[in-house]
Amino acid sequence: MPEPLEIELNPAQREIVERGLLTSGFSCVLQMPTGAGKTWLAEQAILATLRNGQRAVYITPLRALANELVEKWRQTFEEFEVGVFTGEYGQRQAYPVPFSRARLLVMTPERLDACTRHWRSHWGWLPDVGLLVVDELHLLGEARRGPRLEGAILRVRRLNPFLQILGLSATLGNRSELADWLAGVHYESDWRAIPVSWRCVRYERAADKPRILREQIERCIAGGGQSLVFVQSRRRAEDLALELAESGLAAGHHHAGLDSEDRRRLEHEYRSGGIRVLVSTGTLEMGLNLPARQVILYDLQSFDGNDFVPLSTNTVWQRAGRAGRRGLDTHGEAVLLAPSWDRSAERYARGRFDRVLSGLSDKHFLAEQVLAEVWSGLARTRSQLKRALQVSLAAHQNRLPSVDRIVDEMVEAGMMVEVNQDGLRNTPVLKETRLGRIAVRQMLTPSTVVSLAKAFGANPERPEPAFTFLDILLVCAQTDDCEPLIPVDFEELEDLGARLVREHSTLLSGAHPVVMERFQTRGRRLLAVIKTALIARQWTRTGDTDPVAKSFGCYAFEVRRLSESFGRLLSAATALAAPSGEKDASDDEYVRALLDEGPPLLERIKALASMIGNGLDEQTVTLTFIPGLGAKLARRLRDAGITDIEELALVESDELAKVRGLSRDRASRWVGEAANLIRRRSALTFREFSTKVQASVSTWPANIDQYRLRRALDLTVRRRSDCYLVSGGLEPHRVRMDSVKLSCDCADFAKGENCKHVLATSLKRRDPVVVSLVERLKTVATSSELDLFQLWFDGGRR
Amino acid sequence: MMVSGKLHTSLNTAHGAIRLPAYVPVTTFGAKYPLDDLVRPYLPRLAQAAMVSFHYARQMTERPALPLFVDSGGFASLFQNATVLMVGGLGVLKTKTEASTETLHPRDVLEFQEKHADVAFSLDFPIPPSMSSHEGRRRLGLTVANARWAIENRRRKDMPIFACVQGWDVDSYAQCVEAYAGLPFDGIAIGGLVPRVHDLANVLRIVKAVRAVVPNKPLHVFGLGKPGIVEVLFKHGVHSVDSSSYVKLAADGRLWGHPTMKLEDASPAERLNLALCNLATAAQRALPLSTSHLLFSSRLWEQ
Repeated sequence: MPEPLEIELNPAQREIVERGLLTSGFSCVLQMPTGAGKTWLAEQAILATLRNGQRAVYITPLRALANELVEKWRQTFEEFEVGVFTGEYGQRQAYPVPFSRARLLVMTPERLDACTRHWRSHWGWLPDVGLLVVDELHLLGEARRGPRLEGAILRVRRLNPFLQILGLSATLGNRSELADWLAGVHYESDWRAIPVSWRCVRYERAADKPRILREQIERCIAGGGQSLVFVQSRRRAEDLALELAESGLAAGHHHAGLDSEDRRRLEHEYRSGGIRVLVSTGTLEMGLNLPARQVILYDLQSFDGNDFVPLSTNTVWQRAGRAGRRGLDTHGEAVLLAPSWDRSAERYARGRFDRVLSGLSDKHFLAEQVLAEVWSGLARTRSQLKRALQVSLAAHQNRLPSVDRIVDEMVEAGMMVEVNQDGLRNTPVLKETRLGRIAVRQMLTPSTVVSLAKAFGANPERPEPAFTFLDILLVCAQTDDCEPLIPVDFEELEDLGARLVREHSTLLSGAHPVVMERFQTRGRRLLAVIKTALIARQWTRTGDTDPVAKSFGCYAFEVRRLSESFGRLLSAATALAAPSGEKDASDDEYVRALLDEGPPLLERIKALASMIGNGLDEQTVTLTFIPGLGAKLARRLRDAGITDIEELALVESDELAKVRGLSRDRASRWVGEAANLIRRRSALTFREFSTKVQASVSTWPANIDQYRLRRALDLTVRRRSDCYLVSGGLEPHRVRMDSVKLSCDCADFAKGENCKHVLATSLKRRDPVVVSLVERLKTVATSSELDLFQLWFDGGRR
Repeated sequence: MMVSGKLHTSLNTAHGAIRLPAYVPVTTFGAKYPLDDLVRPYLPRLAQAAMVSFHYARQMTERPALPLFVDSGGFASLFQNATVLMVGGLGVLKTKTEASTETLHPRDVLEFQEKHADVAFSLDFPIPPSMSSHEGRRRLGLTVANARWAIENRRRKDMPIFACVQGWDVDSYAQCVEAYAGLPFDGIAIGGLVPRVHDLANVLRIVKAVRAVVPNKPLHVFGLGKPGIVEVLFKHGVHSVDSSSYVKLAADGRLWGHPTMKLEDASPAERLNLALCNLATAAQRALPLSTSHLLFSSRLWEQ
């Protein structure tokens, strides 16, 4: 153990160091509250490892946090090279320090997953690793990221049996079970540098919440404190921060939609005290060190994609853990805003954390890891797979689905084949197919690749589908790997319809039921798929994230993420659309040869991949057909007024050479090549002339809002002596019978609307008008065009 | 003298001191034994040095991070297509393949060793039990000549050279080692014992006879690496042994600590884990406690 840095150890740290838990050779799970010094302990373990001549890997769930840690650790561990390995780097931007040189590797779980899948390429450093620190170990229980982290841990432990794992978390309901799984030890402490008190502040009506919030904040600020308010949505964070600022408080908002510069500025202002209140989504619950004297949980529910559900105890504690600033506060407080009649919020303060359950119990995610095992060569038979997964957390928790059944399904789906091979005593060997290879290389779930193959796979026995660019994006957007899927608000439906009628699409053309048959998704998820595809299409037309984000009411950050996500999906689609057994689809010559034969689907997909990757429209992308003319120069040419290959063929070489980065020779060559190319292919190659979408909204009585009625169907109404309690929405509400009229305590009703709570209560009371409207809602649309309202009313089904 | 202390507690090399006695695992380079590529990065954690044969060492692209013993590759003289010739009084190995004929001269071996080895062994020619006494005597003579030539021509003083001894019985081994009397070898290496290991008592007599002639030099035994035998050899004054048994067993899905177990279709990672476990057993090194779950209680063989 190295000499501890100049720091006074807190009781928990002292005990851990004295017991030698970090250097025992065993893996170790440490559960300590936020701010109790877990990172310092991790640093000690890392330093001991590095000084021992080994490498250390630190897993953190957030890219922003990885960058922040690396910046700090380059000073802390100045004698060792520290590398950052996240999705930001690798393809477009080289890693600041390559794998081979980095002694401390800071990465996201996804990067470790990729390294273990391609373990042969990383064999130069993987065996040198002595320590793997997994920060926020409870991530293992997250639906999508958890299985990838678990798969990576499973592989890295087999590849490097000397590895010691140090798992860190503030909120584990099954610390001992996780330590058992890692064959390690565990330690728990509830010691905090700053004690935190818990309070539940009650409100009668949801409309009172902003006032109560303001009172709480003002009390804290008057005593010299700062407040951190957690809310359930980005929009609410912005609105509430604005409202607080308008009432005279120095308030700001923080969420993942902010770009990194804004986020950093905000964090700086908050740390320096310029901002006294920060209203944030869950982004601040992990990692970033932005403590406040007071943490307020404004919402105790969150939207899980389908419905509003109570926050987990783990989430509440992660957020409450930010209370109390070291050196500034003697105590911190966690304030929960809860309705006066709901006593369930009391349970949070007891701190009974949720058990972290393995995500590999989901067949869908297990299939992805099974394929990764086979492709990586680490398990090539059923028994090897079973043995590899026998040591998974899922198996440890008796939640592992049947591996045989998963393999059968994968073979059935064409992702793997099982063949007999000499030398293995007739044990059939599993081998990934071309589909399987694409899934693993692009880190896509098998179901995504099956969907893409169905839509784009080369098949000489059927005519090639006449997909437009929007259609290709729609197919990609409805897969599980399209992230983020941008949700649609009811109020946006009109706008969405207006956008769609300007677009070309085969998939969205036809009568509503016919269109529905073409999609695997339904309802609001399909609306989100359509919106997401439209955002991506718009990005190809402008190449500028800000106006696209503004126009669609999302964030520039999301548009950038979509560009990356569609990029991966289109790479897979390109590989799938290429005829197997022929030349690699990425071969430029091959693609150029196709130019002579009209733009088939493969060419359209490839063009779209370039458009999405670089924000180019269908005309500008034709410039990239000139060998050596990449997207960056294509944009430069477009900005100089040369928007496609025809323009390029007509421009004078001398004029062209004035464009930055172009020599006269190159300009002259490009003009000649463009002239040759346009003899065979027009710059309008990709211009779309197919059917435009017919989309509409069906008629409906004006006095009852369809959206509210549909939402009312999801609510639960319970009768009380003096009122009806309506729950299942954003907040619980009370509906009272006032002579013959129902009235609600919600803000919507206060504005004069027939709110969803009143409608739900009317339905409970079998109001004949409302009942008949519900019957109408349930009737499947038979209109001659896509009905977006009908999609909305289909609800949150997949 | 590269040996420190009377009891030869260590052997100093350019890449660090090797504490004796030492179990030296064999590794190979090239595509023939892919498991070796997986095991090699872990050798520094479990062993003090690695042994590589001249033939495989020539395919080495990256040096392992521990002292390297480089054997002469003379065992190839046992192959059917090999001939041992006398050229200029030295033993030269000629190997015919379909495409070409390769000649291995003591000079080739020493030049290579001086570039890459931390501990070198002279070019020797094993004498299997079935060999005629005439050929046996010829090989013994050439083995001695090559060792003498190597020590006379060594340029790198920080590279210990071990003189190899061969023979067919106790007397012939003793006669071979007596031929090195007074020469500045850094150690003696006994070869040709693998086909004779079924008679361990005889092997020990040979060791005892050699040890009696050179009581103060490190003594290495080629190719005997099974844990039980290693322990006995060390007790009889042997300072180091080399063996590939740990990895061969693992490739076959076997574990030294569990003789009845056999994993029929071990995956690459399982073979790696078995090999490391075998090596730890043989080298009497402890694996980290955190590996026990994977290596000893993973119920690998209960499928």
